[in-house]
Amino acid sequence: MMLPYFIIIPLLAAFLITLIGGKRDIWGIALSMIATAALLIMSLVSFLQLRGETIVYEMGNWQLPLGIALVMDSLSGFMLIIVSLVALTSVVYSIQYVRHLGQDFKYYALFMFMLTGMNGVILTGDIFNLFVFMEIALFAAFALVAYGCRAEEYEAAFKYAIMGAVSSTLILIGIGVLYSATSTLTMARIAQAIPGLPSQIVLWIGGLFLAGFGLKAAAMPFHAWLPDAHSSAPAPISSMLSGVLIKVLGIYAIIRLFFNVFDAPSAFLTIFIVIGSASILISGFLAIIQWDFKRLLAYSSISQIGYILLGMGLATPLAILGAVFHLFNHAIFKSLLFYDAGSVELALGTRDLQKLGKLGKLLPVTSGTSIIASLAISGIPPFNGFFSKLIIILAAIAAGQPVLALLAILGSILTLAAVMKIQRYGLRQDVDVAPVEKIGLGMNIAMILLAVICIVGGLLIAPGIREVALDPVVNVILEKAEYVQMVLGR
Amino acid sequence: MNNPFILLFVAIPAVVALINLILPLVLRKLLNLLSSLFLLYSMIDVFFISKSAELLGSDFGTIPIFAQAIFAVDQMSLFTLFFIQILAFIVLFYSLKGVQADAQKAFFVLFPLTIAACNGVILSDHAISFVLFWGLSGMSLFLFALLGRTKESPATAMKTILIMGGTDALLVMGLAIMWTLKAQSSWSMSAMALPVVDGMSWLAFFLVLAAALAKAGGFPLHTWLPDFSRDAQVESAALLPASLDKLLGIYLLARMMTTLFTVNMIINMILMSLGAITVITAVMMAMNQHNGRRLLGYHAVSQVGYMILGIGSGNPIAFAGGLFHMVNNTIYKSNLFLTLGSVEKQTGSNELDDLGGLARNMPITFLMALIGALSISGIPPFNGFFSKWMIYQGVLESARGAAAGYQLWILVCLILAVFSSALTLASFMKFLHAIYLGKRPEKLNNIKETSANQWLATGTLAVLCILFGVAAVTVPLKLFIYPALTGMGVALPMFTGLYQPLVLLALFLITFVLGIGVYAVTKKVRFDDIYLGGMPALERFRIVGTAFYNEIRNMRGLKGIYDAADKHAFDAYDVGEKASLALSRILQKAHPGLLQVYVLFIVIGVVIFLFVL
Repeated sequence: MMLPYFIIIPLLAAFLITLIGGKRDIWGIALSMIATAALLIMSLVSFLQLRGETIVYEMGNWQLPLGIALVMDSLSGFMLIIVSLVALTSVVYSIQYVRHLGQDFKYYALFMFMLTGMNGVILTGDIFNLFVFMEIALFAAFALVAYGCRAEEYEAAFKYAIMGAVSSTLILIGIGVLYSATSTLTMARIAQAIPGLPSQIVLWIGGLFLAGFGLKAAAMPFHAWLPDAHSSAPAPISSMLSGVLIKVLGIYAIIRLFFNVFDAPSAFLTIFIVIGSASILISGFLAIIQWDFKRLLAYSSISQIGYILLGMGLATPLAILGAVFHLFNHAIFKSLLFYDAGSVELALGTRDLQKLGKLGKLLPVTSGTSIIASLAISGIPPFNGFFSKLIIILAAIAAGQPVLALLAILGSILTLAAVMKIQRYGLRQDVDVAPVEKIGLGMNIAMILLAVICIVGGLLIAPGIREVALDPVVNVILEKAEYVQMVLGR
Repeated sequence: MNNPFILLFVAIPAVVALINLILPLVLRKLLNLLSSLFLLYSMIDVFFISKSAELLGSDFGTIPIFAQAIFAVDQMSLFTLFFIQILAFIVLFYSLKGVQADAQKAFFVLFPLTIAACNGVILSDHAISFVLFWGLSGMSLFLFALLGRTKESPATAMKTILIMGGTDALLVMGLAIMWTLKAQSSWSMSAMALPVVDGMSWLAFFLVLAAALAKAGGFPLHTWLPDFSRDAQVESAALLPASLDKLLGIYLLARMMTTLFTVNMIINMILMSLGAITVITAVMMAMNQHNGRRLLGYHAVSQVGYMILGIGSGNPIAFAGGLFHMVNNTIYKSNLFLTLGSVEKQTGSNELDDLGGLARNMPITFLMALIGALSISGIPPFNGFFSKWMIYQGVLESARGAAAGYQLWILVCLILAVFSSALTLASFMKFLHAIYLGKRPEKLNNIKETSANQWLATGTLAVLCILFGVAAVTVPLKLFIYPALTGMGVALPMFTGLYQPLVLLALFLITFVLGIGVYAVTKKVRFDDIYLGGMPALERFRIVGTAFYNEIRNMRGLKGIYDAADKHAFDAYDVGEKASLALSRILQKAHPGLLQVYVLFIVIGVVIFLFVL
């Protein structure tokens, strides 16, 4: 029974780091490396062992109506892999980057808390438990956004905290109403009770959840906190926030609740499509006008979240396949782009695109990997982003929605324009720059690793691999009622 | 029986690209040369030794991967494939010495990657694999643009990838619509034959057309091409926009008109109009250029217009002419780029204002450039003449069967095309004069002829220009183009038009002699050292070729258009950029960074949700 260890390991690591961390960061680095590496191996192994099955673990051996269950199906396994993969590279990248910020073990402890929260959200089968883990992850994230201790970072963290609190309130109200209506907090039992409820109540609860989790996912119009928070955080944290946090707290929770619990009523699917499209377009336009390297990337994250929501809203098997695949891909290339931004900022002390230039010789790894990530995020073959966008566009057309397909294409052109702006000004314009710090091996390794995944990631869709890697995840989302039976029906 | 042999055309260059990442420079060149030679030999084998017709029946055909037919071969793809290998080999030979030093290593990785991508496009039958390789070739274009070392090359690279990536996405959508309209039955590009009747099929047609036009450089998606020609390495300009991208774009257009769609008269009219507009606008722009590479870039666009005109007309003669013109264009246009490249490498400049009088220093290069210029201007007996001639005849032929209104329109297109041909000649007079003739600037006195690998490469291209002109029917048409047409189900043209190369050559010589005679009789030229009013002919009074057509530039009516064009008012890319940035600014105003505004967003969102639900 590996399930509780996904939560215990990072929690224990956080505890130990605070306990023995001392003034130096070496213990923090070692422990968090061990923890994330162990999590990555465990998540890979358990995903492969699952083979589309569902594992349920009752905490403290309390039977289900009373206790809290941890549930692992292919969807959670898939999310765990993404989280631990990005977390591991992020820790490797952090070693040099965070020393530069000059503080001690606290960073790693907070990092591990955030990881605990995310793994908890992914695994829990209890809606209030989900809320609690979400808050753990969020509070760690607030602190990490402010970690650089500069004025704008405090401001960003403050905004993030306020808006996070608003959304948590909405979610909590939703949970309260749900509990009063169904008298249970176990998601599978809620799912069983929902058909008996008045439909208006279900819709309103759904509306509250959608607003609350939509805010965590930063879908339009709940996106406004993200550009500040993600651009102010230290680069490895930006990549965790943009790469996985918004997906776990936002997208994963939305999928779990709306597909497996609420059984995907068509009203919500329409809303997914609307807010997804709005996110793709509006933040696409907002991204191309930014001059701050990381802020541009942050806006582009909103736009990519829009693609995932669009795929979810179309809700055909093909569309969900595209959305799930894009979720994975976005975690990879967006994290990579944030690493690139971080190494540029570290090397030159600025991330204003107008002041950068000619980095090809100076930062060969950063420059090379950023080209790969840029081409991947904008859907240029043969990189992974091409395939996921291709599938989403195909799905939109096959579902008889050519307008949505055109919109997705327009969005991908805007994305391309935004990331090419980085290439044109940030890395290649005719300005001579002087480096202030050298980029070390750890940061380069993290970037190269993700770049390699960008190149070979497209293979996940190849026949033979897809059946193992992506199809089980899609099945969990599509076979909505299966979840209930798997959790309760033993 | 399936023959995996043809897969080598993708696999070998791809592997070479991978291995070349770690090899030292000399080995990179060697490996490239070997693989290119092997592929070229294989094609020669298919066409001349084993004879493709028999092979196609037995050994080639569709090749399954993942239990799907991914690659397939027919005569059209074999013919295009052959010319990709020829052009690639010649450009590679030219590049063996003289590529800009700091870009050399990357160049010899990108080169085989490009060849693999282009071969993949031609061989793909599965639409997804077609799109994949199509996008890859666009990506290699972008990476080549990044190797450019001019101040503008980052901006050009961005423009290139935006147009390529954008149209690539449109191509995906177009093919996806076709797949849906065909009941999602098959991704095979050869089995589509979608009739263009209702809204969706029209949409699909235009989406696919956008990709073909962007790749080949047709109006209105051509604007990356002159910039790329100026800013990228000259070898890559000769390789991609001048030859391989033409082959790819026109290949797709030819497929569209035959196997992908079942077209109607309105499509023919639209394409012919697009072709005519491309021809005339680009040539007008070319006349006004001061940069040699940009001038050639606009001509690369202009020539595409002829191909679109020919292939779009739907007439078999013009169709054959269009394909023939595609081949010819790749030959003379890469020749022109490469000769200009030689000049540039020797003198260090490609600005026409800085050059002049180089014919005496670089006689071989001049001769090759002259042959290329005469070919592109459509002077018999060079190759460009015959393909244009076929296109004109075919277009006239197609006008004969059309309704009266259409007839007039087709004639207008035809007249524009013929007129542009004259303008092309005028423009190349300027080009040749500015570089090779006229008075030589003093700083160019010591320029030497270029290295042997370079003039051998351009020389081969010049020989091909002559061969494909003099032996047009026996060599290119009978061997390559007619079989390709048959393979795509186009009825063979009953006649190839009036063409007697020897008679034409004789006529040409007679007019030439006549011209000399007129010159001798009316000769009133005095050579003197004095320029004006006793002033000696100083360097600063040198007449440069670029000023030839300033009259046209400043003509009333045209001046306004040229001024606007210089400000990029007609460039879809720049217009789109301005419009989207304006929209972005409005949206940015809604994000002032104030917490209360953002919370208001949330409140509004929640209220809307609860109201809707």
